Amino acid sequence: MQPNTQLEKTNQKVETTPAEPLVQQKDRWAFVHEVEKLPGGENILDCLQCGLCAGTCPTRFAMDYSPIQIIKMIHLGMREEVLSSSTIWVCSSCYSCYSRCPRAVDITTLMMSLRNLAMKEKIPVKKEIKPKFHKTFYEIVRKYGRLHEPELLMKILKKSDLPNLYNNVKFGWSLLRKGRLKLRPTKIGNHAELLAILEKTAKEEAQ
Amino acid sequence: MLEEPRIGVFICHCGGNISDTIDVARVKEIIGSLGHVKLAETFEYMCSNPGQEMIKKAIDEHKLNRVVVASCSPRMHLDTFRQAVKSAGLNSYLLDMINIREHCSWVHDDKEKATSKAIALIRGAVERAKFLEPLTPKSLKVTESVLVIGGGIAGIYSALELADKGYQVYLVERNPSIGGHMAQLSKTFPTFDCSACILTPKMVSVSQHPNIKIFTNAEPVAVKGSPGNYQVDIRIRPRYVNLEKCTACGECARKCPVKKPSKFEENLGQEKAIYIPFKQAIPNCYVIDKDYCLFLTRGICRICERFCKGEAIDFTQQEQVVSLDVGAIIACTGYSLIDSKLFGQYNYGYHPDIVTNLQFERLMLQGLHKPSNGEVPKKIAFILCVGSRSTATNACEYCCKIGCMNAIKHALLLDKSVPGAEPWIFYTDIRAHGKGYEEFYAKAREHHTTFIRGRVAEVVPKGNSLVVKAEDTVLGKQIEEPFDLVVLSPALVPNISTKELAEMLGIDLGPDSFFLEVHHKLRGVETKREGIFIAGCAQGPKDIRETTMESMATASKVATFLGRGKISVSPEVAFLVPDKCNLCGVCIEQCPTKAIKKGKKEVTIDPISCVGCGICVPVCPKEAIDLKHSTEAQLIAQIEGVSREGDTSPKIIAFIERMTAYGSADLGGQSRRSYTSQVRLVGVPSTGRLGIKHLLHAFASGADGVIFVEGDDSLFKEDQLRERIIQLKKDLGKFGIQSLRIQSITTTIPQFEKIMSLFDAFVERISKLGPIPREKREELEKYLKGEQIATQHAT
Repeated sequence: MQPNTQLEKTNQKVETTPAEPLVQQKDRWAFVHEVEKLPGGENILDCLQCGLCAGTCPTRFAMDYSPIQIIKMIHLGMREEVLSSSTIWVCSSCYSCYSRCPRAVDITTLMMSLRNLAMKEKIPVKKEIKPKFHKTFYEIVRKYGRLHEPELLMKILKKSDLPNLYNNVKFGWSLLRKGRLKLRPTKIGNHAELLAILEKTAKEEAQ
Repeated sequence: MLEEPRIGVFICHCGGNISDTIDVARVKEIIGSLGHVKLAETFEYMCSNPGQEMIKKAIDEHKLNRVVVASCSPRMHLDTFRQAVKSAGLNSYLLDMINIREHCSWVHDDKEKATSKAIALIRGAVERAKFLEPLTPKSLKVTESVLVIGGGIAGIYSALELADKGYQVYLVERNPSIGGHMAQLSKTFPTFDCSACILTPKMVSVSQHPNIKIFTNAEPVAVKGSPGNYQVDIRIRPRYVNLEKCTACGECARKCPVKKPSKFEENLGQEKAIYIPFKQAIPNCYVIDKDYCLFLTRGICRICERFCKGEAIDFTQQEQVVSLDVGAIIACTGYSLIDSKLFGQYNYGYHPDIVTNLQFERLMLQGLHKPSNGEVPKKIAFILCVGSRSTATNACEYCCKIGCMNAIKHALLLDKSVPGAEPWIFYTDIRAHGKGYEEFYAKAREHHTTFIRGRVAEVVPKGNSLVVKAEDTVLGKQIEEPFDLVVLSPALVPNISTKELAEMLGIDLGPDSFFLEVHHKLRGVETKREGIFIAGCAQGPKDIRETTMESMATASKVATFLGRGKISVSPEVAFLVPDKCNLCGVCIEQCPTKAIKKGKKEVTIDPISCVGCGICVPVCPKEAIDLKHSTEAQLIAQIEGVSREGDTSPKIIAFIERMTAYGSADLGGQSRRSYTSQVRLVGVPSTGRLGIKHLLHAFASGADGVIFVEGDDSLFKEDQLRERIIQLKKDLGKFGIQSLRIQSITTTIPQFEKIMSLFDAFVERISKLGPIPREKREELEKYLKGEQIATQHAT
């Protein structure tokens, strides 16, 4: 009788190195539950990974992970990767993803919440990201009650940005001519009320 | 009371199953001393032949006219004992069975407490037995004909099946021709059968079958009667063309000056105001659209009449209503596509080259072209899940089930008919669940169909093409791709009239607004109303194969229902107490089976439709309704009997619905899930049977808390139960009884753990509250007595 060689082969022990687990079992769901409590994270587990958000996103080209990937990473508990991603900073808050999402996942608000979380925990952001932009933006809005684009531009401009700026001069000129761009800042009517609102929210946030 | 009750009580040992935990000798002694009890006996196995003989002999010897058997669950042996009693010459409804095994001996360990509970339960049954009345089940002849509503493939198939079995079938179709959506399709997946080639022979068989009568341009307007004997009014809209005389020569349509978009071509073609829906239409007869015809709108023209050689045009036709007598009804009203305009990002309706998959079927049959300029499209995008699998408002949460395979079919057909065609399918998940479907999917991949996994974000017209924007989630890359034609796969929704029809028939709609079957797996084509069945896409999205199979299943169920020739109706139904009703109509709204009808001078309850749930009884402000075999007198006697007996504290009465909830408690017993013996179970047809009066009687005669246990699938719905409990709590408050003393729960059969743990928790809660003080009980009793005198006075 001939020995069953195939059987013998399968019986041989093969030395393999175990692959590193993608998910740390310890806090498998901790991050998901944390996100569920954040504004915008309520329906995070309803996501069926259709990819509509990523397809619809106008700033997708500048993101390191697409919104659908961010949600998948949240599902897998990849906290650090999510909070240090550029995606949460690049989101321009246009709300297209939320308005089209078939599962009512409020991705836009979630991105804001994740930004806040990253700031609170002082997670180092990637160097191509400019939290400075967001900070300056906030300061200007606080000062006038609305945005003053020239001032924002002056404050965040770097030398390397100059050629890009030069390319957009024509666009800026047409905006200026149509009165869509004002050189001098204007304040909103009841500025004091806005300040009161901002102060109150800051206080509540701190609590 | 008909006569002096002479009650015999038979207590079973169940070979130790009962007698090991319950001291049957003591039970016998105490029960035997109760009034009207002429005999109390115990026996090893009551259900055995000698046991039954013993009952028969005792009935004979002691001239018993009521029998109480205390043994296992009535779900097990009620029929056995009913037979035994019947063969001794006693009406089988003069028997009452009380469960001291599953509800007592199997779930309690303490012999003393279990015995005391058993005595209480049996005493309740004895008290009830005094008021038992003889009843006879009704038997009714059924009408051996069937109404099929909807002439699509589901209707055609079930009609043929039933007609072949010999039943008279009436097929009612709203459109001018039968055939439904299937007549519009090109080929079918996964076999590429020509849809028309397999459908039209069936349509012809229907039209030629001696047992089938077709009503087109017609719909039901009223349904009366009861299972087995329905009367349905069918409204037939005028065609203005005589069905017998029209030869379908088409001369009229050639001469007609008015054009209108064709419904059959999904608005991708035109037809005249006098038209035939499609060439193979059944009946093969022209029809005039009254909204477009110049004579019917403006009183001029009548050209068709002049040119018709057969003199078939008849403008004098009027709407008519036909009344049909049928034994059963099949509702198979099919589906519509959801309006793709609801989803703005696809720009459907704003560009002619964005079409639905049903429109694409028509385009294929017309010879594939772009609706905008007639060119042959090469690159075509198929967008799946338009409005499906979404929780957004206006969208559908369920899967349309046919979109994936349909798009794959189109891709493969394109490969054959358009050389160099480039089909792209944008999918979320490909669902290829049927026989041969996965192979079909693989074939599409082999034939160079491009599959992109990602839901499409938007479709934007750009120049001569349409740009589809989506993320390829596999690549993790955004793509923007130009196409010649975009085909959407919209969600399937029930036809508009589905809701109206459900109300007319008295059947339920599910959360998805499709017709609801009784059981998802075991009774998939029956509805909660006997004699009304469903088939096809009106029950939920499905493909043609599933539809035809389901139609045959439905036909088989209908044949079983009608084949018995008559239906036996339980006598346990609601009835009106004479001279009390003031025609307020509260009961009519509450009845889940529409058994109560209001006439001009009286309210009537149809004993055939009534299922004896008793929901109507407590809502009647005049106490004008009562329920046979669970009458007010019987129920109150039992409640008092159960709660008076014994001195344990606190005493809890659990009212338990007799089907599902009772079965659940039985299962708990079989699993020996022990719980506190302070809970005493009283079976009721449904907890909807109970009102404030019953609670007051329970509290007055010794109970300290009440639990309602309802079946999850009961006719008394969970929200109705909740509402009733809220009302009862308010009413109890008026009598100074804490609302915490009443609790409700719904359960399915396997969920007995839920009930048992509630029992334990509830007893703990009531122990903390303490018993109801004696003064309170006396006060309640006084009140109830006063009430009784008042009602006696009134009658």
